[in-house]
Amino acid sequence: MAETMVRMGEYVSSGSSTDVLVSIGLGSCIGLALIDRRRKVAGLAHIMLPDSSTRSDTTAAGRYADLAIPAILNDLGKLGAQRSMLEAVLVGGAKMFALGGESLDIGARNNEATRSILHGLRIPIVAAETGGTNGRTIRVYLDGIRVTSREAGTQEVVIYDRRTGSQAA
Amino acid sequence: MNLSELQLDALGELANIGSGNAATALSSMVGVPIDLSVPTVRLLPLVDAVDAAGDPAEEVFAVLLPVVGDLEAHVVLLFGTADAQTVCGLLGVEAASEIGVSALCEVGNIVGTSYISALGAMAGMSLEPMSPQAARDMLGAVVATVLGSVAQDSDTTLFLDTDLVFEGTQSSISFLLVPQAHGVGELLSRLGLGD
Repeated sequence: MAETMVRMGEYVSSGSSTDVLVSIGLGSCIGLALIDRRRKVAGLAHIMLPDSSTRSDTTAAGRYADLAIPAILNDLGKLGAQRSMLEAVLVGGAKMFALGGESLDIGARNNEATRSILHGLRIPIVAAETGGTNGRTIRVYLDGIRVTSREAGTQEVVIYDRRTGSQAA
Repeated sequence: MNLSELQLDALGELANIGSGNAATALSSMVGVPIDLSVPTVRLLPLVDAVDAAGDPAEEVFAVLLPVVGDLEAHVVLLFGTADAQTVCGLLGVEAASEIGVSALCEVGNIVGTSYISALGAMAGMSLEPMSPQAARDMLGAVVATVLGSVAQDSDTTLFLDTDLVFEGTQSSISFLLVPQAHGVGELLSRLGLGD
């Protein structure tokens, strides 16, 4: 198994069953996995901020939820994924520090923006580990497609497994 | 954000004086001499910034000190698990306890406040540290969260980092100052090095 690191602001898609896509240490960031389990194609976006509206010139589409999601959908389409078959899994969006007021709770805003964009695209969220105060690591195993979440000092937990069906979000 | 050699050198010198001040304050708090690594000033693409701070999967104890005023920034202190125990040992408290957490916050407070007040005095800026907050988590989660709160308007980030080493031990604390992008320009113009 080859682990591919998906760092802050990056997104990676794969159709190879030996691949594992990983984002280590999601704090306020969101790890968004998009999966077409019939075509065995999946992608992982490491989203840092909710929207790009204050930026006109950014070259880093993957950093913002509103740009990252269309970009990864495009890549998944090229790998043969069908839009109508996609399922989403969300991990992250924690509030690790009480910084300022609610408007500065970037974890909650990332979570809200990502969910609202997915809702608009009619992509169901089939599993999620979001909010709280702890950082998490997401792993997307292309083999049998599974998604896991792990908090510091704890065991890796399977939150999506196509073989057994997934938990409700 | 683009910075010239001269601007980076000037920021390095600020970091040098700030961290010297911080080391003196920390030394009198814990009662052992503190050595400093040469501070590094780096302008990094955001995507590389987490790795530049260390292994993202390492479990660390982090103290965060938000700074407000003429320059908005975050001071972050990162303690490895063993280092947190050493520091608590020097202060005569148990790391894995509420009082240990509060002792480490106080270390963060003293180190961050001394650094910031030296920086403010040199640049003629009014800087106010807010109360420290602690988290025990993965290094990547801590650093990415801090970057998320300063990076809305920038593709790069400025990292001023240094290691504070406890003499006679293997222990050190990693100190990080992460300013907001627009504040860096202001800081440089106060030093007479604006664009």
